Amino acid sequence: MKKFNRDDYIEQLATGKMSRRQFNKVLASAGITTVMLPVFSGPVNAAASDHPNVFTWEGWDANEHHGEYFEKYGEYPNFSIFGDEEEAFAKIKAGAQFDVTHPCSYKVEIWRDAGIIQPIDTSRLKYWDSVIPSLKNIPGMMANGDNYFVAADWGLTSVLYRPDLVDEMYQEDETWGILWDERYSGRLSMSDSLIDGVMVAAIYGGAADPFNMTDDEVEVTRELLRKQLPLLRYYWTSPTDLENSMAAGELVATSSWNDAYTALKAAGVNVKYMNPKEGAMTWVCGFCLMTDADPAKLDKSYEVIDAFLAPESGAFSILEEGYGHSNIDAYSLVDEATLADRGLSRDPEALLSAGIFQVPIGNEAALQSMFEEVKAGL
Amino acid sequence: MPSAAFEQSLVSRIQLRFRRSEAVRGYTLLSPTLTIILLGLLFPLMILVTLSFWKQEYVDLIQTFTLTNYADFFRKKIYYLILYRSIRISLLVMLVTVLLAYPLAYFIAFHVKWNKMIWIILVTIPFWTSYLLRVFSWKVILGYNGVINSGLMSLGIIAEPLEFLLYNPIAVVITLAHAWAAVAILPIYVSLEKIDRSLIEASRDLGESAFMTFIRVTLPLSLPGVIAASLLVFIPTVGDYVTPSLVGGTRGIMIGNIIQSMFGKALNWPLGAALSIISMITVTLVVCLLLGATQLFRKKVA
Repeated sequence: MKKFNRDDYIEQLATGKMSRRQFNKVLASAGITTVMLPVFSGPVNAAASDHPNVFTWEGWDANEHHGEYFEKYGEYPNFSIFGDEEEAFAKIKAGAQFDVTHPCSYKVEIWRDAGIIQPIDTSRLKYWDSVIPSLKNIPGMMANGDNYFVAADWGLTSVLYRPDLVDEMYQEDETWGILWDERYSGRLSMSDSLIDGVMVAAIYGGAADPFNMTDDEVEVTRELLRKQLPLLRYYWTSPTDLENSMAAGELVATSSWNDAYTALKAAGVNVKYMNPKEGAMTWVCGFCLMTDADPAKLDKSYEVIDAFLAPESGAFSILEEGYGHSNIDAYSLVDEATLADRGLSRDPEALLSAGIFQVPIGNEAALQSMFEEVKAGL
Repeated sequence: MPSAAFEQSLVSRIQLRFRRSEAVRGYTLLSPTLTIILLGLLFPLMILVTLSFWKQEYVDLIQTFTLTNYADFFRKKIYYLILYRSIRISLLVMLVTVLLAYPLAYFIAFHVKWNKMIWIILVTIPFWTSYLLRVFSWKVILGYNGVINSGLMSLGIIAEPLEFLLYNPIAVVITLAHAWAAVAILPIYVSLEKIDRSLIEASRDLGESAFMTFIRVTLPLSLPGVIAASLLVFIPTVGDYVTPSLVGGTRGIMIGNIIQSMFGKALNWPLGAALSIISMITVTLVVCLLLGATQLFRKKVA
């Protein structure tokens, strides 16, 4: 066959000399090439896929969190981003391959039960010894003597509000109850999730153990959520929406993580973050090794986790993102005043133990359908 | 060697038969499309159907035949209530879109004399950006500090931003009606364009008023386009979940959101699959009803 020459082809095409058969031949070969491209190009791209596939939250792929990894290899791991753990779970179950993922601790149990994560050998982590002791012993992270989770970042779920737009009494009497105050109807918001939304109603309703409610307590929670629905502007799913609405005064109070507080304060908005008398919630997220992780990339997977645990990465969390970090040495890189401003201190243990720690939710499926029903107006 | 000659003639005969058979040629021509439909539509649909007859227990899929998921649909009020709400919203979207699209299509078909192509291209402009961006831009327009509110406030018409613009079913209808406008305008335009102008002249010559000419000649003749537009808008909007979750607020949830939650948060893929199948069947039924109704209308007018 005559060797294909692009210029000839264009020339022939332009002058109309090309026969229909010739033209079809070229089109057909282009088609075959396109179809076969994914088949044959795999090994060619091997260089980029030498690095572990990391599945994480938006923002945690920031270069500052992976500095040590970059120093060693001159490249960053391959990141994929999820919006919440349920989305991540669905993708993993559908067959997506990852080496390292970044769920929050209350999800570890169900992920292990689903067989998608494998034990982590903490002796291979150089920063393991610097991890805050109470974060090495989180409910659900151990099973049969194996560790399945390495805590990395932690934070609070509490009420974020505009002191200039609500009754002064809330500055004295900090309570989740502000999210049920009818005076602010249409200017309140709640997280669209079980753990940061429904559990808030459970805590406000006085459930003895919000994460393992009795049937009566579930009913109390349902009633509270029903009562709250008409008062809400929306259930928030994106912190960005939340920050915009809070800054505009469209919302006056909402449930929120600390990041929104840090971001809004930095933007000069008059906001306060409550320490509700019923208790704020604390949560920890961290790393899991996936069952179908590539064994050839295992060393590098541990290095990804280590890089994130580094004190400098932690200081970045505290300063820029407003979250706590699991490495105790990170706190000494930040001055006391800044820590206090972020609602943190040199003694994170005290903070962690003061809040209501998020653990796996008992009877999650029934609560989820209860929540769906409330949202549907039933 | 007679056998070789015989073989050759047999081969050429088969080849000839193959080339001449219209059915074979037709299917060969169709084969790329058929392959895509088979792989991209039928195969996933089969998976969905199978999944809907299984059952989810905690993290495990119980792979034995069961009708629980379908029973759940009728047992629990929430699912058919939401499906009913979705269909109502979509019908409203369909109505609004077609009502807004018809005059524009009419204008382009009958009153634009030169550069019709430019008008058609202008109509498709909303489609030049992604669907998500269109939804987000409505969020910017309708929002608390949005274009409408800040405009009205700077004109001194309102003192406080209007809160009813965003985060309710009306916002969903507005957003969807805009997003699908071009899909409605084009088929209506095509059917209006095809109408033989002499029929309209004849109607006027025989003494019908302009309005009655429209009702008795133009409208019935453009019905195919109107029906196509209605279906093209109605069918995809029933299952939409991006728009309600972005602008629908607490009251604007649709069946797509429930299905999405079943495949995500609620971790009940079989129920999600069953809900998908049920909503597909319901959409088909509603479409049949619509077609039946237009058939009746046509007979009445004709």
